Amino acid sequence: MAELEIRDLTIRVDGSDILNGVTLDLEKGKTLALMGPNGSGKSTLAYAIAGHPAYEITGGQILFNGEDIADWTPDERNRAGVFLAMQYPVEVPGVSLTNFLRTAVNARLDEDKPVREFMGDLRTAMSDLQIDESFLQRSVNEGFSGGEKKRFEILQMALLKPQIAVLDETDSGLDVDALRVVSEGIDSLRGPDLGVLVITHYTRILRYVTPDEVHVMLDGRIVASGGPELADELEDHGYEHYVVSA
Amino acid sequence: MTTSIDTATPGVATEPTPQPTLDTLDEAHLASQSRDTGEPSWMADRRQQALSTWSGQSWPDRKQDEFWRNTPFARLVDVGRPLITGADHDGDHTVELAVGVVDHLDAPAATVTIVDGDLLDVRVDQSWADQGLVVVGLRDAAAGPWAGIVSEHLGSLTTTGHGSGADEDRTISANDAAWDAGVFVYVPAELEVKAPIGIQAHVTRPGVHQPRILVKAEHHATARVVLEHVGGDLGDVERTSRVKAPAVVNEVVEVIARDSAQVDVVSVNEHGDDVAYLALQKAAVHRDATVRHLSVTLGGATVRIRPEADLVGPGASAVYSGIYFTDEGQHFDVQPYMRHLAGHTTSNVLYKGALQGDSRTVFRGNVFIHKDAKGSDTQEDNRNLILTKGARADSTPFLEIECADITAGHGSATGQIDARNLFYLQARGIERADALRLIVLGFFNEVLDRIDMPVVAARAQAAIEGEIAMTDLDRVTVSEVAPNTPD
Repeated sequence: MAELEIRDLTIRVDGSDILNGVTLDLEKGKTLALMGPNGSGKSTLAYAIAGHPAYEITGGQILFNGEDIADWTPDERNRAGVFLAMQYPVEVPGVSLTNFLRTAVNARLDEDKPVREFMGDLRTAMSDLQIDESFLQRSVNEGFSGGEKKRFEILQMALLKPQIAVLDETDSGLDVDALRVVSEGIDSLRGPDLGVLVITHYTRILRYVTPDEVHVMLDGRIVASGGPELADELEDHGYEHYVVSA
Repeated sequence: MTTSIDTATPGVATEPTPQPTLDTLDEAHLASQSRDTGEPSWMADRRQQALSTWSGQSWPDRKQDEFWRNTPFARLVDVGRPLITGADHDGDHTVELAVGVVDHLDAPAATVTIVDGDLLDVRVDQSWADQGLVVVGLRDAAAGPWAGIVSEHLGSLTTTGHGSGADEDRTISANDAAWDAGVFVYVPAELEVKAPIGIQAHVTRPGVHQPRILVKAEHHATARVVLEHVGGDLGDVERTSRVKAPAVVNEVVEVIARDSAQVDVVSVNEHGDDVAYLALQKAAVHRDATVRHLSVTLGGATVRIRPEADLVGPGASAVYSGIYFTDEGQHFDVQPYMRHLAGHTTSNVLYKGALQGDSRTVFRGNVFIHKDAKGSDTQEDNRNLILTKGARADSTPFLEIECADITAGHGSATGQIDARNLFYLQARGIERADALRLIVLGFFNEVLDRIDMPVVAARAQAAIEGEIAMTDLDRVTVSEVAPNTPD
């Protein structure tokens, strides 16, 4: 059984149906890529999995380890092991990055990790992602560049050790060097205990984070599925082919 | 502080004639009080002069006085309360004094304890005293070698002066005429007193308390004053109306910062629910001097605080900040006023408030830029966070600018907790209640970061946590949730 099972999911946002019956399985140890043009519903799926209150489940199910999580709050989902790296991480003014991370880690691991140990883990993870220590003095995402925000998302993923990670356009807005650092960071976290759903518009992140499966989403449905070669086809032909045949 | 003191039993009148109230000040009473306390004649004259100003005024009316528009004085301030009389040490009534931030100051240069209009205790660190720091009762100062300085500056920023205070309202002339416990702080030229000077004023009995503080820092001097108001949970004291607190604290603080002086004033208000607190805390900032003012307003039934700066010398600057947090039944009115009266003066104003329950805050931020204040720079911001339904925040920045060659910015925002922030923290496993706590503390951190007094910041933070702990977090409303992306 896959850890995350999406069953015929329909989602309504602001009164319109954005997902129209999506079925997808993600198990630990696997990496899936979800590709599609803007407006196809990729991010909607990501937020629905994370439990954003604006995304209403109108049909189908999201199962995590076999349990329907529709009624779970976002924090319950995260503590259970579902992580969303956001496309547009928000600034949380005045909340120090260190305090935030420590609170989050303690919540997820349900323990009060000694400060020394936590700071050690934090410094290692920051160094892996080439995040300067001066960030420890800052507030969550405040004044971060786009690239810094994305690195910070992956830093949190490293510290929170999820079972399932959904990466929503983590590659967007990154220059080549930043993309490499972030992608290598993601790649290093992959392993038998982590399932990853990489949501992207382009294939470039997939050169670093090779997927086991590629799914194509259009108009709130999955219209094609295949192996890594499907991503290369999309690179060559774009999404127009599916628009015509859909 | 754990000192117990004797005070008169509340409600037992010991005077043969009734003690005047805030509404019935009279010449004979003031004169006899001046005589009994050994005030010099010029000070007695000044009180009489203020009394005649007071006689010609009426109490603030929200319809007449735009600065009182949002605070109904007649409804909230009990002017019929008698002026507090000094503690009667023959009585057997003892009270435990509240402990506050002043009690936790690290190696203070001086501490002053005021209880119910009495100057109970003044202590000055010997090494600072040897270097010339003066912290003494205002009456003693006026009768001693500092008479000239006191005479020059006392009232120089209020009705008895000729500056911007000349058209002050009646609450100020009442203090000018009948202030009770007075404190004089004097820092001679070039003395940098970086250790804090703590002044703690306690309310343990109903009545009208009128503290008066005069601070003068000479050129290139440094002073850091922590002024704290505590007490005021008076138990079963009869009220003339439900919203009229039985204790009224009507305070005036004047700060004179001479050329290149650096003066910090931190005003912490943790009054209990039985106090209406009115305060004018005003500085005259001379050439290249800087005055930083921080108000932490957490207690009291009614609070109207006016942190003001007259930037009178070229290059003078004022950094004024504050936080306030209201809960059920509280009414806080915060009115900073920056007057740019000379060229190249700067002011930076930032106040943040959170509200919960049926409570109300008013922020009126005034900036005046005189035609001679070329090259001046002002920035003024107010942010309010409405935590639960029923609370109301009014926020109005006023800029009066006579001079074109200046930089002025202002901002005002009142809203709920941002749903995006809440979702982000929750998506990281942090429970809603903890996430709300982090967001509210974070909201205030921007202000608290402006003071480098760890004791005060820690106290303020603890007080904010205390307010949040009182909040029914299930009732906290957040901004409307919008989808995060169009996709």
